[in-house]
Amino acid sequence: MTAAGTLRGGRAGTAPDGCQAARVRPYSLTGGRTRFGHVLLVETFVAALDAWEEEQERADGGTGPAPLAARVVPEVRAIVGLCRRLRSVAEVSALLKMPLGVVRVLLGDLADQGRIRVYGTGYPDGRPDRALLERVLSGLRRL
Amino acid sequence: MRRILIVGAGQSGLQLALGLQAKGYDVTVVSNRAPEEIRAGRVMSTQIMFRTALHYERELGLNFWESLAPPALGLGVSVAGNVPGMPGIRRLVDWVGRLDGYAQSVDQRVKMPGWLETFAERGGRLVVHGVTVSDLDFLAPRYDLVLVAAGKGELVSLFARDPARSPYTTPQRSLALAYVHGLGPRPEHPEYDAVRCNLVPGAGELWVIPTLTTSGRADILFWEGVPGGPLDVFQDVEGPGEHLTRTLELLEWFAPWEYGRATAVELTDAGATLAGRYTPAVRDPVGRLPSGSPVLGVADAVVVNDPLTGQGSNSAAKCAASYLASIVERGEEPFDAEWMRGAFERYWATARHVTRWTNAMLAPTAGHVRSLLGAAGGLQPVADRFANGFDDPSDFEDYFFDAAKAEAYVTQVAAAAATRG
Amino acid sequence: MDYAGSDTTTGAPIPGQARSWQTDLSRAPSVTKIVIAGGFGVGKTTFVGSVSEITPLRTEAVMTTAGEEVDDLSDVPDKSTTTVAMDFGRITLEADLVLYLFGTPGQKRFWFMWDDLVRGAIGAVVLVDTRRLADCFPALDYFESGGLPYVVAVNHFEGTPRYAPEAVREALSLAADVPVVVMDSRDRITVVETLLTLVGRALLVTAERS
Repeated sequence: MTAAGTLRGGRAGTAPDGCQAARVRPYSLTGGRTRFGHVLLVETFVAALDAWEEEQERADGGTGPAPLAARVVPEVRAIVGLCRRLRSVAEVSALLKMPLGVVRVLLGDLADQGRIRVYGTGYPDGRPDRALLERVLSGLRRL
Repeated sequence: MRRILIVGAGQSGLQLALGLQAKGYDVTVVSNRAPEEIRAGRVMSTQIMFRTALHYERELGLNFWESLAPPALGLGVSVAGNVPGMPGIRRLVDWVGRLDGYAQSVDQRVKMPGWLETFAERGGRLVVHGVTVSDLDFLAPRYDLVLVAAGKGELVSLFARDPARSPYTTPQRSLALAYVHGLGPRPEHPEYDAVRCNLVPGAGELWVIPTLTTSGRADILFWEGVPGGPLDVFQDVEGPGEHLTRTLELLEWFAPWEYGRATAVELTDAGATLAGRYTPAVRDPVGRLPSGSPVLGVADAVVVNDPLTGQGSNSAAKCAASYLASIVERGEEPFDAEWMRGAFERYWATARHVTRWTNAMLAPTAGHVRSLLGAAGGLQPVADRFANGFDDPSDFEDYFFDAAKAEAYVTQVAAAAATRG
Repeated sequence: MDYAGSDTTTGAPIPGQARSWQTDLSRAPSVTKIVIAGGFGVGKTTFVGSVSEITPLRTEAVMTTAGEEVDDLSDVPDKSTTTVAMDFGRITLEADLVLYLFGTPGQKRFWFMWDDLVRGAIGAVVLVDTRRLADCFPALDYFESGGLPYVVAVNHFEGTPRYAPEAVREALSLAADVPVVVMDSRDRITVVETLLTLVGRALLVTAERS
C-alpha cells in the first residue's frame, strides 16, 4: 500500500474550493490494480499442464503442510483428467457435477500449484470491446 | 498449517483474514465481487469507526488510510423542535462532546479493495464467487474452520434468528445516505471535524459524517427515517440526482442549521447514494450445513443492529478482533460447534451493550434521556461521556437506561461544576 | 427450466467430435458470453438448445429457500434448501472464437448469481412469456439498474395471442431504445436473430460510451 502515500493533502480544507483541490483518482488510493490470482469467470478456459499424473502421485503420498488439493484427491484427479482437453469453468462444474464455487476454489489451488493453466483472464475488465463484438456479430450471421 | 475459509470481504471478514494470515494461517477468502468491482460500485455504509475499532486496525498494521481520512475530534448532538412563537424548526439542544481518540470513516470502496489486494499480495487466496450452500457443504469438511462474514445475502439464513435477543421483527428505520463534496464546516466549530447526530423527535435522525472516499475527502449525509414518517421518502427515488435533491429538501426543512452549509454540495460520484431498510436481529452463531458441518457467523451475519448509533463497522472490527484471539488460543484443537458458541459468547459480552443501547435509541426517546441530552448542553463532562459511549457502549449501562441513575449522574456532575465554578 | 428434476438435461460428456480448439492447449480461443434470463418455464433452456453445438449442460447450486425473510425458517436444513440450476450451451463462431449462452432463473433472490454471470458478458436476453409478464420484472429491474445491454425477447407460444412488440414495450414500461423482438425459442433462426439484435444493441451502447 505504499502507493497510498502518493495521495498528499488528502485532508484538505473544508471549503468547496479546497475539496475540489483534494480530489484524486480512485486508483491512486490503493496504487492501482494489482495482479492477484485468477479471476475465474464461468466461461474462462482452463487446461491441465503436463506431468500432472506425476504431480498427483506426490499429492497422494506427500508429507508436510497439505495443500487443499491433497485433501480432495478424487476431485482433483477428476478435474485434471477432464482438463486434458480445454474446458471452461462452467463445463468443469457441469460435467463433474461439482458446485461452481468448489470448482473455482479447486482450480485456483491447482493454478497456484502450476498444475492447471488459466487462459486469457486476468481481470474482469468490464464489457467486451468493439472488435470482439464485431467478430461475434459476423460469426452469428454465418450461422 | 490450519486452513480457514472466510466468506465475505467486508470489515470483519478481511480484518480477520489479514489477522489470521499474519499469524501463519492458510486463509482463503471468497468475495462475490473483485476489488475493481467494489471500487467502481455503490457506497455500502457510513463506516464511522471510533477509537477502539481503529486501534484494532492499527494493531494489525491495516490503517493504510489513517493519514488521509479526516479525523473527527468530536461527536455532536442536536435535537430539533419548535420554539413557541418562532417559525420553523430550530435546535432545542446543541452540543459537541470531545472524543478521547478521534473517529474516522474510510469508504469501504477504498478500504476493502485495498485490503483484498494486500491479502492477495501476501499470498492469500482470493476466490471471486457468490457462495451457495452447496459450495460450503463440499468445502467445510476440507477446511479446519469456515467463517461466514457476509451480512447480506442468502447465507445469512443459515443462522436462525434468536427471538430472545431480537426484540424487533420489522425494520425500525428507512435508510438513505449520500456522499457529497463541498459541504462547509459547522460555523460554530470551523476549526475541526466532528460527527454530527441530529435528532428529529418522532421522525428520525440525520447523521453528518466526514469521510475519505474514492475521490478524496467528502461528507456523508445520512437520513434515518421512522417507517411511514416524513423522512421515509426514498423508496421511489429515481436516480442519484433525485436522491440528493430529496436529502437536501429534508435538510432544509428538518435541520436548517445543517442545510446552511450544504447549499453547494454535489454527489461524489454516480454510486454515491444508497437507500434501504433492514430488521435488527441477533442470530444463532452456529449454522448447520445440510451435511451437518457447522459454520460460524461473524459480525453482522449474526448480530445486526440498526445503523442509528453508527456501530456497524465498530462491531465488525471488535468481532474480528475477538474471533482472532479465540482462534489463535484454540491452537490445534478442533473448531467444533461448542468452541464456536464459546467464541461467539465472548464477543457477545461486548456486543450485547451495543445491541441494547441501539435498540433503546430506536424507541421513542425516554423522558430521562431527553433530560440527559439537554443537560449535556450545559455540562461538558456529560457531553464528553455520551460522545465516548459511541466508542464503548458498555459505559451506558451505568447511567443511560435507568431514570434514577441518569438523574443522579447529572446531579453529581452539576454539583462538581458548581464547586469548581 | 429452473429446478433440478423439472428437466432431463444430460450431464454426459460433451458429445460429438472435439473442436480443434479444444485439443490445442498451446492457446485458447477468445471467449465471451450472453446471459438468457427469465421466469420459470419461459423457455430459456430451449432457447439455448436451439443454437448450442452441445446438448445444454447444467450446473446446480443448493441455496437456502429464503433471502431476507428468515424469520419463519426452521433450522432444519432439509426444509430450508432448494436446488437452483443454470443451463448453458456453446457456439464455436470461428476457429478461435467461442460464445457461451447461460440461462439463469429470474427471481430476485438469484441476483447474486447474476452478478457472477454478467461479469464480462456482452449483454442479456430477457425472455418473456406474455401470459406471465410479471415473471420478467426482476430481470428487467436488474439489467436496467446494472447498465448491462439487454433486449426483450417475447417467446411466442402456440395458441396464445400474438402481441405486437409495441404493446409489450408499453406493458413492460420499456425505454424506447430497448429492442423488443417476438420470437420462438424452438426456432433456431429466430433465436439467432434475437442474439444478433442483442449484439447490435451492445455495439451501439459501446459506441455511446466511448
